[in-house]
Amino acid sequence: MRSKLPDAASSRKMAASSAVVAILASIWLCSSIAADASGSSSETTMHTNNWAVLVCTSRFWFNYRHMANTLSLYRTVKRLGIPDERIILMLADDMACNSRNKYPAQVFNNENHWLNLYGDNVEVDYRGYEVTVENFLRVLTGRHESAVPRSKRLLSDEGSHILLYMTGHGGDEFLKFQDSEELQSHDLADAVKQMKEKHRFKELLIMVDTCQAATLFNQLHSPGVLAIASSMKGENSYSHHLDSDVGVSVVDRFTFYTLAFFERLNMYDNASLSRLFNSYDPNLLMSNAYYRTDLYQRNLQEVPVTNFFGSVMETVHTDSAYRAFPQKNTPRETRIRTGNTAEDDSRRSILTDMTKAECPFTRIVSSLESKMETVGNLDSLVNYGLVMILPVLVVSVWLST
Amino acid sequence: MAEVEKKEVAAATPPWKPKPRPIVRLGIVLISHSLLVSVVCCTAGVVALFLLPMLAKNTYISENALMPGSASSMLSNDDISEAERLAKDLTSLNSGAADAGIERRRVLAKYLSDLGVEVGYHKFEPHQNQFHPLHFFSSPDSGLSRENGSCSSYGINVVGIIRAPQADGKEAIVLVTPFNFRKNSSSEALSISIGYAVFSLLSRVTWLAKDIIWLVADSQYGEYASVASWLRDYHIPVFSASSSHNADSCFEGNNINLLREESLDRTEISSGFRRAGTMAAALVLKVTDVKGQLEDTLSVYAEASNGQMPNLDLINVVNYLAVHRQGLRVKVEKFLSVLRWEWIWVLGDTLNFIGKVAGSLNPEWKFGISTPDYVEGTATLANSLYRQALGIPTGPHGAFRDFQVDAITLEISPKVVYTNQGRRNEFILRSARLIEGVVRSVNNLLEKFHQSFFLYLLTSPAKFVSVGVYMIGFALLVAPLPLVAASLYVDANKPDPSSQGPKHKLQINFKPWKWLSAAKQVFTVHAWGVFVSLLPYFISQIPNSTPAAHSIIWFSLSTFGLLVLYLITKSHSKPQKGEWENLKSVTISVVFIGLLLMSVVNFATAQIGALVLVPACLLAQPLKLDIRDASLKSFLRIACNVFISFVAFPPVGFFVLKGVNEGFGDMDVGEFWTWLESLWAWNSATYIYIGMVHLPCWVLCLHILLHSC
Repeated sequence: MRSKLPDAASSRKMAASSAVVAILASIWLCSSIAADASGSSSETTMHTNNWAVLVCTSRFWFNYRHMANTLSLYRTVKRLGIPDERIILMLADDMACNSRNKYPAQVFNNENHWLNLYGDNVEVDYRGYEVTVENFLRVLTGRHESAVPRSKRLLSDEGSHILLYMTGHGGDEFLKFQDSEELQSHDLADAVKQMKEKHRFKELLIMVDTCQAATLFNQLHSPGVLAIASSMKGENSYSHHLDSDVGVSVVDRFTFYTLAFFERLNMYDNASLSRLFNSYDPNLLMSNAYYRTDLYQRNLQEVPVTNFFGSVMETVHTDSAYRAFPQKNTPRETRIRTGNTAEDDSRRSILTDMTKAECPFTRIVSSLESKMETVGNLDSLVNYGLVMILPVLVVSVWLST
Repeated sequence: MAEVEKKEVAAATPPWKPKPRPIVRLGIVLISHSLLVSVVCCTAGVVALFLLPMLAKNTYISENALMPGSASSMLSNDDISEAERLAKDLTSLNSGAADAGIERRRVLAKYLSDLGVEVGYHKFEPHQNQFHPLHFFSSPDSGLSRENGSCSSYGINVVGIIRAPQADGKEAIVLVTPFNFRKNSSSEALSISIGYAVFSLLSRVTWLAKDIIWLVADSQYGEYASVASWLRDYHIPVFSASSSHNADSCFEGNNINLLREESLDRTEISSGFRRAGTMAAALVLKVTDVKGQLEDTLSVYAEASNGQMPNLDLINVVNYLAVHRQGLRVKVEKFLSVLRWEWIWVLGDTLNFIGKVAGSLNPEWKFGISTPDYVEGTATLANSLYRQALGIPTGPHGAFRDFQVDAITLEISPKVVYTNQGRRNEFILRSARLIEGVVRSVNNLLEKFHQSFFLYLLTSPAKFVSVGVYMIGFALLVAPLPLVAASLYVDANKPDPSSQGPKHKLQINFKPWKWLSAAKQVFTVHAWGVFVSLLPYFISQIPNSTPAAHSIIWFSLSTFGLLVLYLITKSHSKPQKGEWENLKSVTISVVFIGLLLMSVVNFATAQIGALVLVPACLLAQPLKLDIRDASLKSFLRIACNVFISFVAFPPVGFFVLKGVNEGFGDMDVGEFWTWLESLWAWNSATYIYIGMVHLPCWVLCLHILLHSC
């Protein structure tokens, strides 16, 4: 809104000299960035980071597959670049250490046992009886008690893309938590609305694998939300296959085919969301996958799946990116290092470092961006703009008289 | 109850209140048409009973956690060959030798400890089940075990316990194989083979969530006694030093100590009683030789004391795994004689026809059942009903039910006695895989069995009638009782129409104490019933006498008691008007209460009892009146009354049933005594029912029939 005032001022001074126009343009640029930074419209905010909230809501040994579903997805999003500290993993039971598990401390999602999902480093943030509707809603809305550590919080911002994956036993407009409570579609919609109000996401993809999963989205109204469900109302979601060695079903159909889709992808693939959506075959799923896209603005064909399931940021193209490399030995090292921790912010700053020397425009943009990051109080930035208006006012008054 | 209803009726219909509440009016209508209502209800009740095989539902696994058959069997031929080696070692021992039993136990214990499981001996004194009037419905710990143990006879069970490697050890699954250590029996050796094959596999697996207990029950004093005493010691530890000292001193000088010391040298056999967690389920495994079978069959026995059944899910799991995984034929017991009854086949045909007609009218109505299915279902249902009504456990699993553990007996019978080792191994493999599957399924349980039914009747291994359905027939049968009681009471107390003018039909001169004399009579007869039920306790103390002599003594003493009572209470006054109606009314009320109480304790007994008692009570009318009337209707009634009173006499009923089932060839008076003795020995509530409800009511009916009005 603040940009309107200088705009109006400049329109009145259209007859002014070219020098004045140049100054005005710079002011407009400056203030529009300030407006973006204030987050009044998330559409124009840049996608800056990715989060994933993966929830398995059911207990008991015979629900092994739900934990395997969640762990499989955990592994996939981790492989595609979302770091552990940006994944909130909620597992309602511990199948790996269940005494009925033939393979202690291992969880498989396929009867071929090629892949141990519980292998090297799995960080479970909420486990066992911590997985409650209350905790789930607290994670989404960020209303924690002060003692809750950062690792258990969803510290997303208005530039975040969040993947929310839930699996368990559900029904018409509810999802069962822990055999004792339910998350209703109203609760979910309310939480998402709160998140929107609090600028906790830019885009949110909700993926639910339960029976009658589509009904869980009935109450959603917040923009920027995309929803995928494994089954329509009145349909069941079935398990994919039984591992006769472990003695339980190990994966659900919807998740299985989602994983099959992602197994063919790596971090740099450009597969779009619509390709993912079209990959579900009702005959294989034995249910109809459901997509709710009316709240989502972008064209699904242009949105790569890694926007949600990975952490691949949009890079700002530079005209001479390749020339930069020979001189950039030290930044490359940093990139490798930061690549491991996959800190998006630092990566972006590396990019801006790279482009600093070559292109004046990108340099200005990136310096402004970095300033935006570093300068805490945006008000001062705005104040500078207002102060700069004063000489313009003086000049225009002097010219008109 | 009838009185209460009656009072309501009377209170609700005073003249200044023209319109009583609808429920009261409904009651009045039902009571005034009690004859029609009782005929309709009783007929419907009997019809509903015969419809039960049609209404049976297919069983299904209700508990999600069970997941039977989802895991593939891990049992290998190595386990089998090892088990067969054990069986050979056991049978090769000379059975004639005095210490063969000890040697067999030692061999078994050595095999078990080689598996790395905990092994223990459990010695017990078998005691005869004895009638003790105060021990009905008491806890299994009746203190009988250590009263007068004679040192001469004792049994020793061998117990192996596998501790679940990753679990907390709070729960356990029990396998029981009855085995007579003193005798060589090929079928028992086969059952040991199967048990050992499963047990050796389970000692290696990582997926146990419950401990596994294998009880090789010493069956020389009966299968039930050994299991029951082990269970008692498992659940009721004895802390008193004196009693344990007694028991030990008893065994002194016997070779049990020798046996223990000897085995302690090499293997770690615990001297104390070994326990695991609470029992989730128990399987009793037996192998029997039955000639002339077409395939390997599995018979399932489930009835425990007083008609208690294990959870239906346990039977479902066994049935599912046996049929769909191991290809065994599953049987439940049935009355073979029912299959020979022509009229059942005719009934089946009729129902089949009705079902077809209904199906052609509306394809949605699918209650048709093929005639052979119906007859088979009826035969199985009849057996199920009879076994539950008897209240005697049908196998060692009954001992578990006393501790609220779900248990069944699996009796596997091979097609032929296998001589070929390969065929024999295959049989063992199938049976052992069945047991393994059941154990794995039960192992998946998170809670006690609770999802499926506890109250049901089986009409085939895969079909059942649940409590909600079979109660309908019983409810219809007993529903007329309070109505008829009320209507009789109203009739008996109706003012003489000649003395008072025609008034409102139900406006009566209410005399509340008139029924008291009738109640006194009924109470006296019931007191006599208690006396008769207690008599066998004293009669059985008489040494050196046959069951037939017992029966005769019992019969004569009971009759004598009745005569004495009659003489004492005989009123010399002239019979009053409405006396027999009052008596009948109170009798019917008492029968109603007795049947309802019994249906809570043991439904099957109440159902069978109602089939006899309800018509007997409803039809009872002084013969004198009927003879005086001399119409076709009254002659029919006389015939019915005489027939029912004849059949309803317990000994007659017993012999008629027996004759129908097995032919009227040889009858022994002592058999009735033996039958009743088994009832009280097993603490069956049916005995109480016969003594305290059925017999007094029969006497009262007889009294009404012979009433001099």
